[in-house]
Amino acid sequence: MPQLDTSTWFTTIMTMLPTLYLIMQLKLLNTNHYQPPLTKNSNLQSHNTHWQPKWTKTCLPLSQPQQ
Amino acid sequence: MNENLFTSFSTPTILNQPATIPIILFPTLLILTSKHPTNNRLATIQQNLTQLTLKQMMTTHNAKGQTWSLMLMSLITFIAMTNLLGLLPHSFTPTTQLSMNLAMAIPLWAGTVVLGLRSKTKNSLAHLLPQGTPTPLIPMLVVIETISLLIQPMALAVRLTANITAGHLLMHLTGNAMLALSTTNFSMTLLTSMLLALLTILEIAVALIQAYVFTLLISLYLYNNT
Repeated sequence: MPQLDTSTWFTTIMTMLPTLYLIMQLKLLNTNHYQPPLTKNSNLQSHNTHWQPKWTKTCLPLSQPQQ
Repeated sequence: MNENLFTSFSTPTILNQPATIPIILFPTLLILTSKHPTNNRLATIQQNLTQLTLKQMMTTHNAKGQTWSLMLMSLITFIAMTNLLGLLPHSFTPTTQLSMNLAMAIPLWAGTVVLGLRSKTKNSLAHLLPQGTPTPLIPMLVVIETISLLIQPMALAVRLTANITAGHLLMHLTGNAMLALSTTNFSMTLLTSMLLALLTILEIAVALIQAYVFTLLISLYLYNNT
C-alpha cells in the first residue's frame, strides 16, 4: 500500500502543519463578521432653547419623549 | 492490477519534486478574506457557512472549550475542502495519506487529554470508570477504559484514511468496469454509469461527513475534558 511508504511522511506532515495551524487560522481570523447595523432610536427631539427649562415643559410639549 | 489500482494514492511528484506541498496548500487559496462589510457572493457564502458551523459546533461548550473554536473551525474547513477537491478526476487527496491524518489526530487528541488532566485532574480520571459498576469488576474496567482512551487518536486517523481511500477505490473500480463493459454489453454500461453517479453523490456526502465526524469527535473529547 503506497500510504505506508514512510519516505514521504516527513514532507506531508511538515506541509500540513503550517497549512492547518498557521495559514488556515490566519485566513479565518482575517474574515470580519460584521453585525447588521442597528437602527438608532430617534424619538427624542433635542431642543436647544435658551430659556429656563422649568416652564419649557408646558410651552414645548413636543420636546418631551414620545409616549 | 493491484499495483495499477493503488498508484493513485502514492504521493505525486512532478519531475521528481514532491507535488504534495502545493496540493496541500491549495485549499487555503480558495478561502476569501476581505475587510469590506459587504462582499461578493462567494465571500458572503463562505462567511455565512463559517458562522453557521461555528454556532452549530461551539454552543455546547463552556467558555474554556470555546477558546478552541478557531482550531476546530480551521480543522473542519481544511478537511472538508481537501476531501471535496479530491473528488475531481485525476486529483490527489492528501487525506488518504495515513501520515497526515495521524499528524492531525494525535496532537489534537493529546491536547484535549492534557488539558483535562491539568485543569480537572480528578474529573478527567473519573471518566475512566463508568458509573454503577460492581466493585470486583473495577480493575478490569479501568484497564479497558484506558485502552479505549489510548485508541482514540488511532481510530480517528484510520477512520478518515480508510473511508476516503475506500470511496476513491470504489469509484476507480466502477470506472474501469464501465470501460471494459462498453465494448461488450452496452446496457450494463448504462447501469454501471448510474452506479457511478450514485457513488459520486455518496462520495460528496462522505467527504463532508468525515470532516464533520473528525471535528465532532475532537470537540467531544474537548467537552469531556473542560
